[in-house]
Amino acid sequence: MSASLNEQSFRVQETEERSLDAAENQWKEDYAKQIGANNEEIKNMSGITVDPLYTPDNIKDTDTYLKQSGYPGQFPYTRGIYSTMHRGKTWTQRQLVGLGTPADYNKRVRTMLELGANAISLLPCNSGFRGVDCDVVPLPLLGTCGTVVNNVDHMDTCLEQVPIDQISAAMNDPSPFTLFAFMLNVAKRRGISWDKITGTSNQSDYISHFVANHMFYRLSLPGSRRVLVDHIEFCRERVPNWNPMSVVGQHIQQTGATLAETVGFTLSSAIQHAEDCLARGMDPDEILPRFTFFFDVSINFFEEVAKFRAARRIWARIARDRLGAKDPKSWRLKFHAQTSGVDLTAQQPLNNIARTAVQAMAGIFGGLQSMHTDAYDEPFTTPTAKTAKIAVATQNILREEAHLCDVIDPLGGSYYIERLTDQMEQEALAVMAKIDAAGGMYKAVEVGLVQTMCGESSMANQELIESGKKRIVGVNCYQDEEEEKIEVETTRPDPVLMQKHIDEFKAFKKNRSQQAVAKALDNLTRAANSDDENVFASVVEATGAGVTHGEIISCLRTELGFGHPLIIA
Amino acid sequence: MEKVFPNVTGTPARALITKIGFDGHDRGSRIVAAYLRDAGMEVIYTPPWQEIDAVVQLALQEDVDLIGISSLATDHLIVPDLMQKLSDAGLSEIEVFIGGIIPEQERPMLIEAGLGGIFGPGSSREEIVECAQRLAATARLNKQKAMAVAS
Amino acid sequence: MSDLTTQASHMATRLRAGEVAALARAISLVDSREELGSQIHRAVRPYAGQAEVIGITGPPGAGKSTLLNALVSALRSNNKRVAVVAVDPSSPITGGAVLGDRTRMGEHTSDKGVFIRSLAARGHLGGLSAGILKIIDLVDAAGWDVVLLETVGAGQSETEVAEVADINVVVNAPGLGDDVQAIKAGILEIADVLVVNKADSPLAQRTERQLKAMLQLRREECADVPVINTVATTGEGVDLLLSAIVEQASAKFNSNKNKRLIDRVRRLVAQEAAAQAKQVILSDQHPATLALFEGILAGECGYEEATMQLMSKCYTHTECA
Repeated sequence: MSASLNEQSFRVQETEERSLDAAENQWKEDYAKQIGANNEEIKNMSGITVDPLYTPDNIKDTDTYLKQSGYPGQFPYTRGIYSTMHRGKTWTQRQLVGLGTPADYNKRVRTMLELGANAISLLPCNSGFRGVDCDVVPLPLLGTCGTVVNNVDHMDTCLEQVPIDQISAAMNDPSPFTLFAFMLNVAKRRGISWDKITGTSNQSDYISHFVANHMFYRLSLPGSRRVLVDHIEFCRERVPNWNPMSVVGQHIQQTGATLAETVGFTLSSAIQHAEDCLARGMDPDEILPRFTFFFDVSINFFEEVAKFRAARRIWARIARDRLGAKDPKSWRLKFHAQTSGVDLTAQQPLNNIARTAVQAMAGIFGGLQSMHTDAYDEPFTTPTAKTAKIAVATQNILREEAHLCDVIDPLGGSYYIERLTDQMEQEALAVMAKIDAAGGMYKAVEVGLVQTMCGESSMANQELIESGKKRIVGVNCYQDEEEEKIEVETTRPDPVLMQKHIDEFKAFKKNRSQQAVAKALDNLTRAANSDDENVFASVVEATGAGVTHGEIISCLRTELGFGHPLIIA
Repeated sequence: MEKVFPNVTGTPARALITKIGFDGHDRGSRIVAAYLRDAGMEVIYTPPWQEIDAVVQLALQEDVDLIGISSLATDHLIVPDLMQKLSDAGLSEIEVFIGGIIPEQERPMLIEAGLGGIFGPGSSREEIVECAQRLAATARLNKQKAMAVAS
Repeated sequence: MSDLTTQASHMATRLRAGEVAALARAISLVDSREELGSQIHRAVRPYAGQAEVIGITGPPGAGKSTLLNALVSALRSNNKRVAVVAVDPSSPITGGAVLGDRTRMGEHTSDKGVFIRSLAARGHLGGLSAGILKIIDLVDAAGWDVVLLETVGAGQSETEVAEVADINVVVNAPGLGDDVQAIKAGILEIADVLVVNKADSPLAQRTERQLKAMLQLRREECADVPVINTVATTGEGVDLLLSAIVEQASAKFNSNKNKRLIDRVRRLVAQEAAAQAKQVILSDQHPATLALFEGILAGECGYEEATMQLMSKCYTHTECA
């Protein structure tokens, strides 16, 4: 009996696990197909050829390689989600831009594009996050940390001469995604069909907002859930190349969760969002290919690299085995990373350039698809044009001078990295088990479990800093007593121009068709109270009819509930 | 840590920790609230986005000695407004301090408006607690004097 | 101390005239057990008694604060002036506290018809209720119609504080782990109205059944304790809750204000008596007392008998503070 069982299991293993050769050949095939024009030989300074990939073949050790690491572009994607990764196509340089009036934004974003950024990102004013229009806000608070965009005209100005049918745009806007609605209307005005629109709804993960008590939630927890699923459904049909779901790990890590906790919570959130869509009748392969992730990348260099490798591996298994997705595109964890502002210091700020470079490297070795690097004055202000340029240059240097794109997952095979990846995976899975036991991420956040865990990690970290155990150059070691106070230029919008912007907005409100606005708001109210109408579709229509950002949010807060903090951890 | 409340029989100071304006990052303010609690104060803690009028109402009803504002964006620019409204409501004895990102060039303006302490990034727990205790004691003293005068 | 008396008199006048600053300051003085505070309290005490005091308690996570918020809205729409007194525990080690209940009251902060005060228990063992009652007297005399007294369902202090209220509402919610075990027996005893919040949860019905079952096990009259379902976040059930509170109050006091006040005083004095008696007995080294204890051990008299004997002693030995 046992003999035949052993035979059976051996046979099963054979069919399930391909041999190393077969996998390698598959990868070589995919690589050749996808590399296209980039297929040139690269030699290093010493004349040695640099291969695109190094495998156990190079060190004659193939144990568990296929199962745990595999080839890039192959399940479970530990080494990277694409066969070519950065050697084929460099990561997208997507710098966050947000300041002043739409005209200010437009100027800066065009500069960024000239400097080599190949995608754009729009960060709205804090007043916008709070859900109010500029005509009810004290002037000094407008446009200092983001751009004031309250209607379609403003978005049009922001995107003047920006080819939105060719480059990817990230809208940093939570539920109900009015900025994206503005953008869709701009596309309409320009005769651009919506299937040409690419990019991401960068703050669509309401769970991360409630966890980190962050400033991005507007609607109640259940209200946000409803609008998110509507948004995903709408985009799936009408804007098929847009990523409506960005699962955010950044806020969770920034609020104090450890790196492993961040992976655990983020992937649990992704499961929750996916399950909510499946409950609505959507197919996993319809939605998962358009799920993206957004992580912070801190200066904990090796830990970050391992974190991303582990996250990819865990997600691949979840997508395929737990969520039932069959399309490999559904199994791939695509992510954007932002270098972490939490590590940057106000003391000796020029040091932040070095910090950002290290963080960026960790992200690149971690296999990100898209990156934003902070400017060195991040602890003080929104970046000036000068400091923003340095931030972009940092990425260019890493790519052009350090040749970090030449090899896929170069740290793969390092004893440390492989072991650490396994360990991060275990820690993350333990966190996910806790969340599962609590009934899923939505429930866990409702009762405050996640917030409490993050709060504890945050205090623990603070204690390490206070006690000096965690050393920060310039803060608790290597302080410079005679440090010259660098006159850090604070970026403030021109008050005259901002006042003009407000006045024009007031005039706009007066001159638009009040009837159309009233009708659109009625439709929106009705949609919010219905069980089967798509709220986001109504938002798109309403913005087209001239309804403003604040008006939409006020309406939905009334109908779907105002977002209040759930717990003070 | 010694509590410093002259002329008052060891009653905890009452502090309000809050955020006005639009920034929502409250990790720092939660940490400061914990510091003050561990130093023996009663801390009334609010979430971000408080209206100035609401803060004044709260300070009035809760008879706080001290208000700590956390400001990371440019919300510190409306603090003078808060100071004015506190004064208008007869609450000028309350001491106010601020922590977060406050550019050097804008600090004199805040001191002039009556702020008792400004804490940038890297401020230590000891510094913050010491200042808070000192300010609370001052507030208590001034309140007592004001009450004696009023009758 | 005529200076103090003058001050107290002025404060009392201002407080009764509705000046919020005076009320707030008076509360602080009473809370700190200062002489001035006591004098102010005595000055306004005769004018207190109108306000209905409703206690709200329950385990953490039941949604008490959200429900409180909804109750305030409902009372306000009935044109009642509402005061909320929220009591949180103090750290026994540092004496500090974080009082975060105002978090949920966002929409009421600009309403002049709502007064909210956060108090820390300050480790007053056995004297918590007396202090809180004095504070409620101040609020009462300042003209507030309803006082909602909220305590965190975390310890013995909530049952003590419950004695201060005319009607006690105990809030539970499904899925808090071990369901109604989360409500300790003590709180259930004092409930006049039980609430199942988050009633939209699929587990809510089970929670309701378990509560009703536990009520049956108590005493006969507990069958009259209503169990109300609410969804605090939407306001569903809140009007029903208010009606239930009103009904229970009328059943208990029959609109007899004096009965209500005397009952309250009696409960508080009983509590104080227990606390004071405990203090005395714990430190009583009188040979006669020790002999009594030996008698219990030897089986010569029972605990109850012995206590009765000591009680008559206590009535003569106890000093009023």
